[in-house]
Amino acid sequence: MPLVVALLSAPAAAAFGMLRPAGAAPVGAAFCALAFGATLWGFASGGGAVDVAWAPSWDLRLHLELDGLAALYALLATGVGFAVLVYSSRYLPLHLEHQDRPLSDGTSFYFFVLLFMGSMVGLAMAQDLILVFVFWDLTAIASYYLIGFDSHDPDSRASALMALLVTGVTAVLLLIGAVMLYAAHGTFSIPELAGRVEPGPLLTTAGLLIAVAGLAKSAQVPFHFWLPRAMAAPTPVSAYLHSAAMVAAGVLLLGRLYPLLQKSDVLLDVLLVVGSLSMAVGGVLALTRDVLKQLLAYSTVSQYGYVVVMYGLGGEYGAVGASFYVLVHALCKSALFLSAGTVTEATGSDRLSGLGGLYRSMPLLAVGSGVAAAGLAALPLTAGFFKDELFFAAALERGPVFAGLAVFGAALTFAYTWRFWGGIFLGTSDAEADRTSGVLVLPVVALGGLTLLGGIFVGPYLGLALAAGSDSLRAPADVVAAYHLDARPENLMALATYGLGVAIVLSRPLWSGAAGALSRLGERAGPERLYGMGLRGLNGLSDRAHRAEARDLRSRVAAILLPGGILAGAGILVTPTGGTYRVGTVEAGDIPLLLALVPVAVAALTTTFTKRHVTLALVLSSAGFVLALVYAFFGAPDVALVAVLVETVLTLLFLGTLRLIPYEVLHRQAGLPTEKRPRKVFFAAVAGASTFAVVWATLSRPAPERSVAEEHLKRTPEAHAGDAVTAILADFRGLDTLGEISVVALVLLAVLTLLRGGRLR
Amino acid sequence: MTSAMTRMVARLLLLPTLITAVAILVKGYTQPGDGFSAGVVASLGVLLQLMVFGREEAEKIPGVRQAGTLAFVGLLAALGLAVWPLLLGDAVLTHYPPPGAKVLHFGTLEFITAVLFDCAIFVLVFGFVVGTVGAISRAIEDADEQEAP
Amino acid sequence: MILILSLVIAVIFGSGAFLILQRDLFRVVVGIVLISNAANLFIISAGLTRGEPPIYPLPEGAPVADPLVQAMALTAIVISSSVAALLLSLVYRLYVAHDSVDIEDVSAAEAREAEALERGENPEREEEPRESPADVELREDTR
Repeated sequence: MPLVVALLSAPAAAAFGMLRPAGAAPVGAAFCALAFGATLWGFASGGGAVDVAWAPSWDLRLHLELDGLAALYALLATGVGFAVLVYSSRYLPLHLEHQDRPLSDGTSFYFFVLLFMGSMVGLAMAQDLILVFVFWDLTAIASYYLIGFDSHDPDSRASALMALLVTGVTAVLLLIGAVMLYAAHGTFSIPELAGRVEPGPLLTTAGLLIAVAGLAKSAQVPFHFWLPRAMAAPTPVSAYLHSAAMVAAGVLLLGRLYPLLQKSDVLLDVLLVVGSLSMAVGGVLALTRDVLKQLLAYSTVSQYGYVVVMYGLGGEYGAVGASFYVLVHALCKSALFLSAGTVTEATGSDRLSGLGGLYRSMPLLAVGSGVAAAGLAALPLTAGFFKDELFFAAALERGPVFAGLAVFGAALTFAYTWRFWGGIFLGTSDAEADRTSGVLVLPVVALGGLTLLGGIFVGPYLGLALAAGSDSLRAPADVVAAYHLDARPENLMALATYGLGVAIVLSRPLWSGAAGALSRLGERAGPERLYGMGLRGLNGLSDRAHRAEARDLRSRVAAILLPGGILAGAGILVTPTGGTYRVGTVEAGDIPLLLALVPVAVAALTTTFTKRHVTLALVLSSAGFVLALVYAFFGAPDVALVAVLVETVLTLLFLGTLRLIPYEVLHRQAGLPTEKRPRKVFFAAVAGASTFAVVWATLSRPAPERSVAEEHLKRTPEAHAGDAVTAILADFRGLDTLGEISVVALVLLAVLTLLRGGRLR
Repeated sequence: MTSAMTRMVARLLLLPTLITAVAILVKGYTQPGDGFSAGVVASLGVLLQLMVFGREEAEKIPGVRQAGTLAFVGLLAALGLAVWPLLLGDAVLTHYPPPGAKVLHFGTLEFITAVLFDCAIFVLVFGFVVGTVGAISRAIEDADEQEAP
Repeated sequence: MILILSLVIAVIFGSGAFLILQRDLFRVVVGIVLISNAANLFIISAGLTRGEPPIYPLPEGAPVADPLVQAMALTAIVISSSVAALLLSLVYRLYVAHDSVDIEDVSAAEAREAEALERGENPEREEEPRESPADVELREDTR
């Protein structure tokens, strides 16, 4: 039910947008709110499941279920989506205005945002690996269009392509992993798989493939490079895709498949390593960035690093903590992204170095995003405090090393969040802010308010995370989050984090050189460079192939014919053929057939030395007509009828085309001396000879089994038909005919386009 | 210009051609011929008009101007006929009535969905042939116009 | 009979292959049509049975022609003829673009354009996602 609403919203908004460009946003937002409400209501009333056979012969099921995990992500996608849509109803017109684009361009934006939302809800609810894959790719496609929304900008297009390639190519790994699991256990259904898999190399390999897909989508090291590039998108897109939706899809996959993944220690260790690396790399790089959205992008990399680490740590605290973390992070991060957009809109600057002291001119925004930042930095009284508490608890379960790592990571978060918020709103700067619309501020305040609310009444948030965590664990989870005013380890760790964070902020001159060097090293030798090299290499290859083709068209044809002929000939030579070639008998009834075949061959030969084009066309069509006669003698009246008709039309087409091309051009061709004639004759002879050998060999050896044709013939009356051929075409092998007419329709489309293109010129 | 005789013959031939086409179409299930050949026959009748009277006259025959659209309507109809058994829980391209069931007869005409499928092909092919040749004739006219001034 | 059929098919195919190797694009199209004719004839003659048309009421005792190959040949004929129509309009389009139906002229023009592109445009052209190579070619044809 929520899925239906969510999926419907995209076309609905698009339709309204086409009628009135301004109408798309309100309609989209309304649908968004409706989907949110439906999800909430559905989850509160105990969830629900749809499980229908989709293609039973392939074991595909349409299995959707609104469980805790699904509810968490669906609520995030629709809730944050609502805030973002409200925000963009004001932001997008401004954005388009800056670029001198018509307002109607915005419609496609809403369409793809809502399409994204719909597929995200679907992804959250999917319980079948193939279904997961379908929604997974839908999100990738929608994100491609959203990131490349400023399609006039090459940079934006390149970023969109990068995001699509990185997440799309790894999605294939997901499919491979799914098929491997299916091959071993005979089902795509995740709950069933969870009951069946055994730890072992198969699970490790398949799980690794699937995990790679999830990690790439969540922009984890070494796939993190696409996310900062994707910041080329308009700000609402960044806020939505890169805080709550697209990157969340990756960890959603991990959470969904956690029952499988947790059976393999290797996989958990991989998650731990990748997560910690992302945490560190993202955190350090976030400290070096000057562009607001870049800072936030690297912060997202590092934040999802936490989530991955928590899944890697495992246990109750890990699974519940991961879900809780995703929830809180999505709220805070989208608020921060949106405030970055508002600030840029108001001041025209998108860099930290050009900003400062804005709390005076934009107090409301400062408070709203301040709360969100506090949430991200895990200050008490915000929901963020509990996300770190759970994180610390999970790390403590595994030992002091992980606890230290956790404190270090959290301190990095504290530092760059402070840098972001403080850099914009505190201090003194001559940056001037225009007055901004309330619509650009309110969503930030609302999201900040939700963060604050979670810090005071953590119950509902934690309840959602508990439900999601128990779905990941396949066991009821029970974790308590509350304030404790004592010296328990978690509190001490939080205090250490704040201290270390302040230290990092204050000691900026000490480490900024080293961090900058790391960032430059990443650009020099990082995976992004590898990606660029791969892309350029492929492109160069295609260029070279194309150049070889364009330079020498005819020798390419010969290059296909000759090896083809030789291969066929070789195949015949090595096949034992003793006694298989039969000359066949000529009976009295075959005489007309023979007589008809002779003119066909003669006409075919004639075409090779006819000079004038009209004669050529006529000779060709006469060959066709006699061939129709041959078909008739073969006892195939249907084929003969169609052949005659087709030949008529084809002759018309040939003559019509000849009429279109001036006589002189054709005459020039007809008068050309035939060069390299012996070579061509040789090629043609080779082709003819090998065709002869193949055809003769085939015709000499009719298949000994009974033909399926007999069955067709027998069943023709059952299909209420008299003519077996028509029955085959329309009924027994109707799919062939469907394909055939699709070709015909496509050709019509192409012909009309080609001819009309010539006219418009 | 065409002679009066040609014009008269062309005019006279249109209706019989179309009737032949329809006959080929509806009898296709029991005798040679099917939607495809019927479509070609019908479009040949129209093309004859096009050659004798010119494009403008021919376009007065309903369906000629919209030939391209018609082709895609045919394709969609065929696809729809192929897919809708899915809704009833049958395989793609199941035809009704099923084997053994009684068929509604109207003379020798049988009402089965396979004939509808053929009709869709008829429409598609008619649109294809008329559309293609019509496009070429339009291109010829344009080329002539360009040369004339 | 088998031998004669194979010979005829081979002759048609060989003639078609010879025409495909010509410079004249129009002849190339004719060659392709001939090759598809050869293929169609081959499909029909590969029928397991020959005899009366497979139409009810079936003749008693007499052999009936294989309906399956007929249906396949029908499909093949239709597809090959629509491909021929497509090729013809392509030839016309090439003529409009290059004022010639000579494959050498066309490929020379294409090579020239490729070089001009490489010299004139930025090397990042490969990262333009909205433009498939087919579009580029089409646009170049109209120049």
